[in-house]
Amino acid sequence: MTPIGAGRDLFWRNLTAGANGIGPVESFDTAAFPVHIGAEVKNFDPSGYIRGRSPDALGRGSQLAVAAARMALEDSGIDVTKIDRSRAGVSMGTTSGEPGMVERYNDARKAGGLQSVPADILPKYPCNVIPSNIAIEFNLRGPCLIIPTACAAGNYAIGYGFDMIRSGRTDLMLAGGADSFSRITYMGFARLGAIAPERCQPFDKNRKGMVPGEGAAVLVLEPLEAAQARGATIYAEVLGYGVSCDSHHMTAAHPQGDGAIRAMAMALKESGRTTADVDYISAHGTGTPTNDRVEAIAVRTLFGERAPKVPMSSIKSMIGHTMGAASAIEAVACSLAIHTGIIPPTMNFEAPDEGSELDYVPNKARRTDPRIVLNNAYAFGGNNASLCLARVQ
Amino acid sequence: MSGRVVVTGAGVICSIGAGVEEFERNLYGGCCGIGPSPLLGDGAIAAEVRNFNPQPWLGNKGIRVLDSSARLLSVAAHMALTATGLQQQEGEGDPDLGLVCGTMFGSVHSITSFDWSGVTDGPNYVNPGEFPNTVINSPAGQAAIKHKLRGVNSTISAGLVSGLYAIHYASEFLRFGRATALLAGGVEELCEESYISFGKVGVISANGRPRPFASDRDGATLGEGSALWMLETAESAEARGAKALLEISGFGAAHDASDINAYRVRGEGATSAIMQALSAAGIGPDEIGCVVAGASGSRAGDEMETHALRNVFGARLERIPVCAPKAAFGEAMGASGALCALTAGLALSRRSLAPTTGFQSSDAGLRLSTEAQDVDGDYALVNCFGCDGNNAALVLKGLN
Repeated sequence: MTPIGAGRDLFWRNLTAGANGIGPVESFDTAAFPVHIGAEVKNFDPSGYIRGRSPDALGRGSQLAVAAARMALEDSGIDVTKIDRSRAGVSMGTTSGEPGMVERYNDARKAGGLQSVPADILPKYPCNVIPSNIAIEFNLRGPCLIIPTACAAGNYAIGYGFDMIRSGRTDLMLAGGADSFSRITYMGFARLGAIAPERCQPFDKNRKGMVPGEGAAVLVLEPLEAAQARGATIYAEVLGYGVSCDSHHMTAAHPQGDGAIRAMAMALKESGRTTADVDYISAHGTGTPTNDRVEAIAVRTLFGERAPKVPMSSIKSMIGHTMGAASAIEAVACSLAIHTGIIPPTMNFEAPDEGSELDYVPNKARRTDPRIVLNNAYAFGGNNASLCLARVQ
Repeated sequence: MSGRVVVTGAGVICSIGAGVEEFERNLYGGCCGIGPSPLLGDGAIAAEVRNFNPQPWLGNKGIRVLDSSARLLSVAAHMALTATGLQQQEGEGDPDLGLVCGTMFGSVHSITSFDWSGVTDGPNYVNPGEFPNTVINSPAGQAAIKHKLRGVNSTISAGLVSGLYAIHYASEFLRFGRATALLAGGVEELCEESYISFGKVGVISANGRPRPFASDRDGATLGEGSALWMLETAESAEARGAKALLEISGFGAAHDASDINAYRVRGEGATSAIMQALSAAGIGPDEIGCVVAGASGSRAGDEMETHALRNVFGARLERIPVCAPKAAFGEAMGASGALCALTAGLALSRRSLAPTTGFQSSDAGLRLSTEAQDVDGDYALVNCFGCDGNNAALVLKGLN
């Protein structure tokens, strides 16, 4: 579920065509804000995805997540009525969970005082309702959690799903991330002066900021042998992941990219690969001046002379920053890049930053047949996570 | 690598004490941390950390910007780091030392206040300095900065069972070799928003006396706090000469909800979680020496736990000592699992299970007592079951 389309095919067609999912914000009035653009999922009808319950009973984060989970399961060809449900789990990531519940709570409080707040709002706030709603929808009985590590959460959640499969604890994991468009998030980034006024231009010399977005992505993870045995389409293999903490500042990245470097290095080491093996990097690339500079420094430091030869693009130029869903959506993009041989572009790229000249795959998708890719994600709290995906040999 | 994960120290702050010694003394002394809550006001009763001042542990620097969760977590982290000699001195900090923190409502108070400011004053007048506190992983991020924790920094949410999930998650990280030492547990602050949330769905005890497993129980009483263990691989603890107190033997988790706000009273998921934890530990139910229950005084939740325990232990259940420590420190939400795990760890170390404060009678057929009970066996079971279908269980082994 993304601002450029729902479902694997539409998303990928639009992503490789350089589509734009960013436009004027419609879900709330931005008149009082200094900026007005966002990346929203338009015309979303949850009733097509949520069965047996009223979609209104779920917050928007859960609605997006259940929709993505349903599409993922259908795409996988797995019939959940025929599996051992106690060995099927859910691992999701998010930045804000269901912030819409806090907004409704405050709106009700302002309009009619505390007594007028409906009883069912706040119980739907704790972010673990997102994976719980997926588990309920598909009656999955295994482990069920959410990892709210802000804007790197999707990679953490896929990583945990990978661990559960690898340790033999589960046979199937639905793993990904979800976040809904929120005035709170928008207000925060607007006040930090981090939102771009017109468009998102990751790594461009004249980039002016990020663009808040929303979305959800879910990947179906299972043991390789099981997928091969049932003749499944295998998009990619998870080789490993790495995480680290800058332990430096809540919102600003470590200036030399310390944590980012360690996360990438750990992911490669765990995967039994080196920087020489990497064919493509899906950048965190939010479009803010500092974040993109630090990410370029980190890649340059770790990859050395090879850095300019490794294509690295940011799809946030098209779909904005979908927060906790971002690295999950990017993991889908990485998997499809491996599967189709095409890497998505960095749109709105005009001129490189001095000292940060890398191959950002400017403005046009490219056929490069990547076999091994790194998916980077960085977050508030100094959280860094890199996921290594590969074509199955 | 053996894959063994051990506990080498702890930190705790909650309504019955700050620091393991005070917590232990008050828990075994039958103290109760529940009373009128100055923080919530308006006659509310809760297990609040009264007169909480983090200064003795954290000093003054950088404290003002931390919300209550970040302060509680940072204090517990300080205690556990100091107890294990792993506090990071000058320099950058060990990249293999990290933090895994469970929470339920997380930053709800900070995010609500931030939004409220926007709603009442307008979006151009909110304080951008408060925005970082609105993200759910803010306490873990702040604690990492405070204590120079550069390894994995994960926040885990699985509702009321978050604390146990965090211990499991950290154990897996250590087994996979992604860290050598991890603080793991949970944190939750009392606040208006979570209090209203539970109050609105009618699960809070009317007279503010939670009576776990009692026939006349009428709900839980909310609490707050933070508890963290220092978890290390057995090899790394041995190599640095740290004494291993306990071993994380097994974890089980099962989701069984049909609704995000209802217990499945027959306890299918809860039973499955306990059986998985026993199986992961490689033991049978007969080897469990004591049970630390997750019972909070909830009508449906406690009934579900009783069913699950009966399903697992059968007739032997009446001979196994059980403690329901939420009678003392309340339902501390995301911190509960870690506080209960700490209670079980103390039981194994002392070979004596803490009393259930205020316990009078129960028709559940469980061996609960207002006195400490002898523990016969090397293993303890910790239960944690949530009203959102999340069920988790942990098996611990004493190493004395």
